[in-house]
Amino acid sequence: MSIKDILSPFSGWKKVFDEPVVVKDPVNDRPGAPRYRGFHRNDIATCIGCGTCETICENEAIDLVPVQGIETRDGDSGLRPRVDYGRCCWCALCVDVCTTGSLTLSNAYIWVDEDPGVYRFTPGVDDMPWQREEKGWKKPEGNYEFYSLKREPMEHLRPEERNDSFAEMVRGFSKEQAMREADRCVECGICVATCPAHMGIPEYIRAVRDDDMERGLKILYDTNPLPEICGRICTHKCETVCSIGHRGEPVSIRWLKRYIADQNPSEKYKQILETGVLDKNGKKVAIIGSGPAGLSAAHYLSLMGYECTIYEKLPKTGGMMRFGIPEYRLPYDQIDKDIDYILSLGVHIIYNTTVGKDITLDQLKRDYDAVFAATGLHQGRSTRIEGTDHRHVYQATDLLRKVTLGEEIHVGRRIVVIGGGNVAMDITRTLARLQRLKYGEVRIITTSLETEDAMPADSEEVVGSREEGATVIPGWAPRKIDIAEDEIKGLHVVQCLSLFDEKGAFNPQCNFDNHRFFEGDMIVESIGQGMDLVYLTEGIKEHLEMTPRGRIRVDDYFQSSIPWLFFGGDIIQGPDVIHGIANGHKAARGIDRFLSGTADKQQTT
Amino acid sequence: MEQLLDRIIAGFEAADIEKRKDGQVFFTVPKPKVLPLINHLKMFEGFRNLILMTAVDWIEDNQFQITYLLNNPDTKTDLGIRTFIGRDGEGMDSIHELWGHAATFQREMKEMFGIGFPGSPRVDEPFLLEGWDDIPPMRREFDTKKYSEETYFPRPGRETHDPATYMKQKLYPND
Amino acid sequence: MIDPVQKIFRFQPDRSLYPETGADGKPVIRLDSGKFIKVWQGPNHPGVTGNMSLELTISGDEVVESKTHVGYLHRGFEKLFERRRYIQCFPTCIRMCVPEPDTNEYNLARGTEELAGIEVPETANWLRMLALEMARLQVLLRMVPGQAATMGLGLGAQWGMYFRELILDRFEELTGGRIYHMYILPGGVRGMMPDGFRERLGENLKKIDGFIKDIDKLIFHNAVFRKRTIGIGHIPADWVDHYGITGPVARAAGFKRDVRKDYPYLYYHQINFDYNIEHDSDVFARFLVRRKDLETTVDILRQIMAKMPEKGIIRAETPNVLHWRIPKGETYVRCESSRGEYGFYMVSDGSMYPRRINLRGPSYTHAVSVLERLLVNANISDISSIMVSLATCPPEIER
Repeated sequence: MSIKDILSPFSGWKKVFDEPVVVKDPVNDRPGAPRYRGFHRNDIATCIGCGTCETICENEAIDLVPVQGIETRDGDSGLRPRVDYGRCCWCALCVDVCTTGSLTLSNAYIWVDEDPGVYRFTPGVDDMPWQREEKGWKKPEGNYEFYSLKREPMEHLRPEERNDSFAEMVRGFSKEQAMREADRCVECGICVATCPAHMGIPEYIRAVRDDDMERGLKILYDTNPLPEICGRICTHKCETVCSIGHRGEPVSIRWLKRYIADQNPSEKYKQILETGVLDKNGKKVAIIGSGPAGLSAAHYLSLMGYECTIYEKLPKTGGMMRFGIPEYRLPYDQIDKDIDYILSLGVHIIYNTTVGKDITLDQLKRDYDAVFAATGLHQGRSTRIEGTDHRHVYQATDLLRKVTLGEEIHVGRRIVVIGGGNVAMDITRTLARLQRLKYGEVRIITTSLETEDAMPADSEEVVGSREEGATVIPGWAPRKIDIAEDEIKGLHVVQCLSLFDEKGAFNPQCNFDNHRFFEGDMIVESIGQGMDLVYLTEGIKEHLEMTPRGRIRVDDYFQSSIPWLFFGGDIIQGPDVIHGIANGHKAARGIDRFLSGTADKQQTT
Repeated sequence: MEQLLDRIIAGFEAADIEKRKDGQVFFTVPKPKVLPLINHLKMFEGFRNLILMTAVDWIEDNQFQITYLLNNPDTKTDLGIRTFIGRDGEGMDSIHELWGHAATFQREMKEMFGIGFPGSPRVDEPFLLEGWDDIPPMRREFDTKKYSEETYFPRPGRETHDPATYMKQKLYPND
Repeated sequence: MIDPVQKIFRFQPDRSLYPETGADGKPVIRLDSGKFIKVWQGPNHPGVTGNMSLELTISGDEVVESKTHVGYLHRGFEKLFERRRYIQCFPTCIRMCVPEPDTNEYNLARGTEELAGIEVPETANWLRMLALEMARLQVLLRMVPGQAATMGLGLGAQWGMYFRELILDRFEELTGGRIYHMYILPGGVRGMMPDGFRERLGENLKKIDGFIKDIDKLIFHNAVFRKRTIGIGHIPADWVDHYGITGPVARAAGFKRDVRKDYPYLYYHQINFDYNIEHDSDVFARFLVRRKDLETTVDILRQIMAKMPEKGIIRAETPNVLHWRIPKGETYVRCESSRGEYGFYMVSDGSMYPRRINLRGPSYTHAVSVLERLLVNANISDISSIMVSLATCPPEIER
């Protein structure tokens, strides 16, 4: 102890005249830092109500509530997060996990009110002053993601490997790839409403993560009896609304479905799905057409105990799935795997029998308790331009069917395909393979009315066609087929400016000054298909109500105005496989309601 | 380290050896070997420092894991000694004579898991939970959520909706 | 005949007589003998850190027996972790130590990464060091002058608070929070340094240099402080391993114990600093160690800023945090907090939820077994001084 120890503490007086360091007016003089985690903001126009914020909130401070003025629609639940500040800890994990990036925190941190009830509000809906504040916490930039925004790449055969072969192009996921892809799902369930069959998508993706393939298969068969087929060629509308797709690439839902189906060997299906023994209820249903809708109805009706008989006009099952879609996209053994299982449930099938020709609908009515007609769209539509009656002008569906049946078809040296949908791409790629096999080179031009970004075909199909040597030139309207000396010389086209008028009706507008000529000796039309309802006898047509647009009117359960007659599949909705499956499932329940007497309308014709 | 492990395996039946990182190893020894091993490590191997001891509830196997984490400050090594005891009232030998703070760990484990340490000072006095009359809360059968729902009251007027279910109600109630 | 009231009043404790030693070697304390008083210091008392209480048995003004009572702040975090995903543990675990939450974040993140086998990007590691050292600095700025406040010398503590606020301002800029920073999360950190951060932190450190000189004059060269700390609360060297004493308390007893040097983590091996050792092992020595730590921390921060990369990746790619399964296994991770070794023992059963996360903080032994023994025979006016010198922090005992 020294005299210094007595004196030096007096140095504390040195600040006695200093300015105080206290912020006098923190409300105005001390805004939060630009990154401050203050009160919530939400851009409700961007938010889709996926509820991931609610899932990650460890304090259960977030509720999802309906909001006036926001409709529930595809890809938007119509719900918005509401925050309870009695529980929130301002960790901002909700911001970092937000799939759309709509949720942020402002830098406002002062909010005083006598009413404790106000400390629960819906950001972006309840007007709060900080909603318009620029500063505050946003998801950090640069490689900071709570889940991967990038898809697990799906391996395809390289163009040179697949060019001259009908082998399946898409290899499918390995277990590691499937696990990684399934890991990206946030289980929001937004996709379920958009899927026509309302499949349990988050649940079966979870089964992939848990590596429980049997549970996965059961979930698939709850709503979809054709998972191998759908896992390959479904139009995957679910992926268009996937919440991960808002900032990244959507989860590959379709490939994950295929992965589950691929992992289960067909001989174990009955054991896994517990369908070894089915109780019969003694009632009989006739199904016309063995396409997706017919098979789906047969499957669910069989599980309910009905005895089903399918009438198929072709020598094989599958309808468009087999005869419309080329083998490289959907191998026949995979079609057989799904369909053989359904047939093994005791479904009878009568091949080479056309209803209306070999057997009448009235006969079916007499022999069965109900009839489900799912006859599909098989008649190719024609452009009806000059020259379409030439013998080397073909319909895509006819050619595809013949290829499947193994019949010889004419393959030109230079082919022009008209159409921009998936069927057009299918016939392009099929003909490309045949041309390569026959002539060793590909000379195909595929043209469509729609511009590149508006083409209905999946972009990977367009890319694949180009990779395989076809030339795709979108945005041109066919005018005339040039024929000289009874041989086709090519197709005259003009530039197509727009497809629809102001009212939204189909009414293409063309620039006739901009003209091109595509050389070719064979033309294939693929602009859509029509239905063939010749099996409807006059007596039935009389009682059948139609919609103003010329389709058969059915109720929610696909029951027509003739109670024993149900319609579904492409002739009602679609055209695609998944709608057919959904229709078949719903119609099966409709038939059950009708036959078990639980339906509302009871009268018969 | 390797030699030390060999000695432990040979002398104390250590199994399930898990090398986590440089200078940190976890292993399991049978319950009767725990105290001899700890004594040996403290007296002869330089493991003078008890970092922690705690229990892990493996309710599915009906046993508690007790972990002793010993540290040798000279060689900078940690040994995690695991042993398994039954969940139904089986106690464990006390090590309060070896370290001054072991009694605190044991008191907490008695309170939180219900593991008895006969002879440990003040082991039955409440440590954190004065007036607690439920089962020891760190046992996994104690359901915190249920307890809080029964004990406290939720804020009225809260409701939430699952997006998928809500969309079904709105868009396709009959499907 | 002396009036019994007067007898009590004139009572002089005679350690040879009171308390008597019983047959079991422990003092016999009979409260009805009139020689003892039970006093509760806490749970709400300015001389107690946080919410804990000391059940004191006093003879005269000396403590005969002390029992630590904790549980006033028990929130059961280790239980709550059982039903939280790893990412959800992160905003919870920080609350296990209010003054220095970053060590919790860091341990949780590192334990998770070790179990999952994730490499953290370099920039993120530097930012973690920055956050950890800033946290240490703001604790020491409060704790060093705070020691003097336990004996009524509050001026330094008030000045210290201002300088601590400067660091909190930097934290607010960097992490978005002042107290609970929630910055270090499994995989990396949550943000780069904002523009101009280096310069502002540099200014703050310059001011803090001046403040360290001020508290030297104000506190360490203060006759009252020296009188009341030198020789008080002496911890013998053989207690250190017997009680598992760590950090500044162990260093004040002459032990070279510092996790940053003994078990280097992050990039501390690239930083030039030394153990701060004292030998007297009393309250004064412990605070001398902390005072040196304060300087060391400022120096380390300057070194970090010199080595910090300008930009880089701040978070490694991890599986989806909403269903991140951590492989089965267990680990013990530790770091040096301002109070000593701060460790997490983590057990994963391979699911999305941790099986067990156990915190071992320095206070667990400092505030219970060490304090109970250290207070025996201490003067009641020194209790808070001894307690603060051990840097007790009840939330980390109770969790």
